[in-house]
Amino acid sequence: MSPKLKLLREVISNIFSRPATIQYPREPAAVSSEYRGLHYPDLNKCIGCSLCMVDCPANAIKMVKLPPDYKNPKNPRGIYPVVDYGKCVFCYQCVFVCPVKAYITSNKFDMADYATHNSQALSLKTIGRGGKE
Amino acid sequence: MVKYVEVPVGPQHPALHEPIMLRVRLDGEVVEGVDIVTGYNHRGVEKLGEKNSWVRDIYIFSRICGICNAVHAQTYTQGVEKLMGVEPPLRAKYIRTIVMELERIHSHMLINAVMAEAIGFDTLFMLIMRDRERVMHLKEIVTGQRVHADIHMIGGVKRDLRPETAEKVLRVLDYIEARLRYYKKVFEEDYTIRKRLEGVGKISKQEALKHSLVGPVLRASGVPSDVRVDDPYSAYDELKPNIVVRHEGDSLARMLLRWDEALESVRLIRDAIKNMPKGNPVPKAIKRAAGKGEVFSRVEAPRGELIYHIVSTGGPKPYRVKVRTPSFNNIVNSGFAYIGERLADVPVILTSFDPCISCTERVLVVDEKRGLRKWVPFMALSRGEIRVT
Repeated sequence: MSPKLKLLREVISNIFSRPATIQYPREPAAVSSEYRGLHYPDLNKCIGCSLCMVDCPANAIKMVKLPPDYKNPKNPRGIYPVVDYGKCVFCYQCVFVCPVKAYITSNKFDMADYATHNSQALSLKTIGRGGKE
Repeated sequence: MVKYVEVPVGPQHPALHEPIMLRVRLDGEVVEGVDIVTGYNHRGVEKLGEKNSWVRDIYIFSRICGICNAVHAQTYTQGVEKLMGVEPPLRAKYIRTIVMELERIHSHMLINAVMAEAIGFDTLFMLIMRDRERVMHLKEIVTGQRVHADIHMIGGVKRDLRPETAEKVLRVLDYIEARLRYYKKVFEEDYTIRKRLEGVGKISKQEALKHSLVGPVLRASGVPSDVRVDDPYSAYDELKPNIVVRHEGDSLARMLLRWDEALESVRLIRDAIKNMPKGNPVPKAIKRAAGKGEVFSRVEAPRGELIYHIVSTGGPKPYRVKVRTPSFNNIVNSGFAYIGERLADVPVILTSFDPCISCTERVLVVDEKRGLRKWVPFMALSRGEIRVT
């Protein structure tokens, strides 16, 4: 078979195959569970050691004070990290370096919006949940 | 009387996918000379490396290039490990090798797709890119992201390869291998591709060595040179890669060599998964300070030999990290390959070198009034002497 005809076979098989384009956002995009997506610290576990802030290559993590009505005996300095997702490069060095595995990870990737987007609200929601998502 | 017509190709040009400018001097339609002008993508990443800690720099240097990020991380990490006296576990070395070979496959698929587009064969471009997406998906399930692997860590890797993931990699590789063979055949037999690539941009063995070209460009001119074999790192001393060499030295040979190398990478990944030792590849503690010393580290990136020279004066930060990327040699030194070809072949020849401009950029000072251009050496730059004299 000549090379031109072989390519023609490819073209014909493509006419009858499903489209390769994913109709995102109308259909969900196929993202594996392994994907490094949105992550935030669980305040029940965080000890405020600041190691994630020290290691962050994008300077995306700031340590802020815990709410005054929340006391965690494991967190004597009373601070926790807030991740700025606009700066974050999702290398997961913070997740890797955390000595108490405080970060809750997910494969959520669609975070582009106009609102100021950081992990503060998500972290504050973890208070009192005992480390459950 | 004007002897030449100068045609600027780039820096933003539909046929070139990278911000580089070629000032092509033409006599009729024949290229008489090419000035390669870089400097459109400089970011000062080496300086940034000096300002950040050893651990942060893994991510900073892996972001020099999107396509070959794992090899940048590998070169930097293996240099730092040598400096700190850390030996990663064997399993970690195997996982690094798998990631780097997946990267080689998708990098070679990308440049072959771009070549298909450059010669006006857009259907082939889309077909290759569709299959390349499968390789990107494998990278996602192994490392966590399609593009940036970020799996390297001083003393190991950041995540282990689970058995079910390894099985999926093997399953998809069967499909990829069949497709790679098919595309190689298309490049070998298709009339349009042969007409555009065969005999274009020919580089002899002597010329390739004289201009110190590296990687697939050098191997397509008949020089068997591959760091994976010459100076084995990671798990390559056990996996024993074969060097792929072609002797034609033209653009077609460079593209076909990349398909052969991608097929060799498929074999290496299969072998690596089969022979992978057991153990824990994730380091328990990260070493954060290095003693005094300097280290020279090199790796075979998809585009050729990548070199890092890391200097430490002790402490938490590197004193100096010098990066010599393969594109720096292959693009800046390759002006001779265009001479005598037609203007229409210029993008094809450039694409056959697999240019990566974000890797290449260095400091260049231009004096437009006097028409002077000068490369600034590092020592002068560090003293703040950025002047054309």
